[in-house]
Amino acid sequence: MMIRPSDRSESRDAIIGRATRVRGRISGEGSLVVEGVVEGDIAVRGDVTLAPGSRAASNVEASEVTLRGDLEGDVHAAGAIRIESGARVRGNINGDSVSLEDGAEFVGRVELAFDLPAELAGASAASTANRRR
Amino acid sequence: MASTVIGVGITIEGEVTSEEDVLVQGTLRGKLIAKDAVTIDHGGTVEADIASGPVAVAGNVTGNIASNDRVDLQNGARVVGNVKATRITIADGAQFKGNVDMDV
Repeated sequence: MMIRPSDRSESRDAIIGRATRVRGRISGEGSLVVEGVVEGDIAVRGDVTLAPGSRAASNVEASEVTLRGDLEGDVHAAGAIRIESGARVRGNINGDSVSLEDGAEFVGRVELAFDLPAELAGASAASTANRRR
Repeated sequence: MASTVIGVGITIEGEVTSEEDVLVQGTLRGKLIAKDAVTIDHGGTVEADIASGPVAVAGNVTGNIASNDRVDLQNGARVVGNVKATRITIADGAQFKGNVDMDV
């Protein structure tokens, strides 16, 4: 696809404005900011931000996810998930790291993919070894 | 800056309803209803019926456009579908296939 230099924006971002509602699936390469309402799944390569006052009934798949609005659905992030003050989240979250701020509401399960620290990993290995003995 | 932007590389499949203006630089399939202006930039693709305020097209539209204001098909636009509006311009370099209804 030809992109001309006259194109006024090089931004790959999408913004669902405050007075906008999307019913359907949002996907693609860029990042997404939701200020309005989304009913449908979101799967982007970039980051997803739910602004204060936004509402989403979506499963979210993204790089990093920042939540300040209402979300009903599961979150799957390659990077960090931040549930900030004012957010209301119902769903399971699965990411590289998760932070839950004071003032945020969250109902769901947190699943983190991380390696056990060496001493713990060593201890469990040792205990397995002990049991064998 | 439009209040709702469907950026380059973003695809929405479904229905977009907006009380404000909408800028499409990516892809929208489904339906687009906006109270305010709709702009489809170069490289933007809309496969949907559009009902809105003023519409400016410099990208691709497959679907019918119904505007309560004006529709401008700009240079580089490619529109397949019917256009209904009070004022319509088709610029040199715009491709258009469909009916025009100027609602007189």
